[in-house]
Amino acid sequence: MKSKVCVLGAGSTRYGKLTESIIEIGLDAAKDAIDSAGIIPKDIQAGYISNVFGVSDKQVHMAPVIMSNLGIPSVPGLTIESACGSGSVMFREAYANIAAGFYDCILGLGVEKITQTGTTESTTLFSYCSDYFYEGGNGASFPGLFASIARDYMVRYKANEEDLAHVAVKNHENGLLNPKAHVRKRITVDDVLKSPVVASPLKLYDCCPFSDGASAVILCTEEFAKKSGRPYIEIIGSGRGASPAAVQARENISTIPSTVAASAQAYKMAGITPKDIDFAEVHDCFTIAEIIDVEDLGFFEKGAAAHAVRAGRTRLRGDIPINPSGGLKSKGHPIGATGIGQVVEVFEQFTGKAGKRTVNNAEIALTHNFGATGASAAVHIFKKVE
Amino acid sequence: MSTRQKFIASANRGKILAKKCVKCGHVMLATFYYCQVCSSNTFKSLELEGTGIVVTFTIQTVAPEGFEDVGSYAWVVFKLDSADFRVSGFVDKITSAKDLTIGTRVKVTAYDPKHGLRLQKL
Repeated sequence: MKSKVCVLGAGSTRYGKLTESIIEIGLDAAKDAIDSAGIIPKDIQAGYISNVFGVSDKQVHMAPVIMSNLGIPSVPGLTIESACGSGSVMFREAYANIAAGFYDCILGLGVEKITQTGTTESTTLFSYCSDYFYEGGNGASFPGLFASIARDYMVRYKANEEDLAHVAVKNHENGLLNPKAHVRKRITVDDVLKSPVVASPLKLYDCCPFSDGASAVILCTEEFAKKSGRPYIEIIGSGRGASPAAVQARENISTIPSTVAASAQAYKMAGITPKDIDFAEVHDCFTIAEIIDVEDLGFFEKGAAAHAVRAGRTRLRGDIPINPSGGLKSKGHPIGATGIGQVVEVFEQFTGKAGKRTVNNAEIALTHNFGATGASAAVHIFKKVE
Repeated sequence: MSTRQKFIASANRGKILAKKCVKCGHVMLATFYYCQVCSSNTFKSLELEGTGIVVTFTIQTVAPEGFEDVGSYAWVVFKLDSADFRVSGFVDKITSAKDLTIGTRVKVTAYDPKHGLRLQKL
């Protein structure tokens, strides 16, 4: 590796139902990140874009359009798709290109616009992210796939629907402190349990919303960051993992192998263990996902997360805060942007911009984001730089 | 015929099309191109009985487009009786978890052109 890699700037649009076009949403977040870094577009040497459903807003081949509208049409860009994990997978590729010495400064932009489609169309589009021949094509929606995982987990580890509800309540509590969150609403365990069933045993409040939104970061070499004189954070670990694409092909349905592999790589690279992480942004597309994530990331033993969540250990003032941003559940899930939005949260936490959701005395944080039911995943570890 | 077309033809006979690795003996779904264990690509084709037990399932309120005409159904992962792997399909006329449990025996009845692998409770 030729250089340490840092995040120098970060910005996000609000997540939710947005009226602007996908390109405008992306450009708004890119401008925020550029301003946050104190650079100008001409400092950017490459643009990495993550997106999944651009075609639904009549735009593919997005990178050249974004770069052209930033006034840097000669700067090369590319678009990366890895379902709901697109953002973190793109971040990893941008990170690797800087670490390898190809570039000193990259714009990493994740963007999604989906709410112009109805619920049935969105559900259908998302089902294309599954192993379609065996899953979407046999009638499985994404809530359905995670519901089948939840049912397995609940039987295997004797958990119940109330355990899952505690995840939703906690993330909504955090999302209330995030002005850019999609669903800013306090809920109770009873609210979750009484909400309509989407795919048994998951109910409406077990599921993240369909969101529009964009998040962007400026990645750069340590030398570039230091020269800027602006606050930055350092990436100290990066890992990628993969799982069998179909749920049916997994020996243990209640673990996600890509998370285990990606986190093991990231911890090894950073030279730390899960105990050293002060907070984490994890992929809670459904409440069951967060329960499984925090076990697969090594914060809790398999089967122990439900009890830990009930005990408040993952709350903002718990011993391992999970999703201080509100997570996908409350902040929202614009799927091409989500992985980058997690990095934005870490940047804001470590640069004094997280307000009331700031995690006390945090110095090391982890982001975890996966695609589909975890077929692809990436984990990154960040260090606060004083 | 492509492999998927052959899989569909087998399903319409109530069978699951599989393959056995000639090199290591591992049995897997026919749709794999290389052996999951030894990466060999020399296989013997097998047609397995499409019976098994439900490993997990869900009943969805909002189904993907094209499934509106099925009514309430369960999407199911089941383990085959005759091989150590799982397959997914759907069982129609399931309205609540009272109608199906983990461990329920099911069998493949057909491959529905619109809805995929159709199963029924035994």
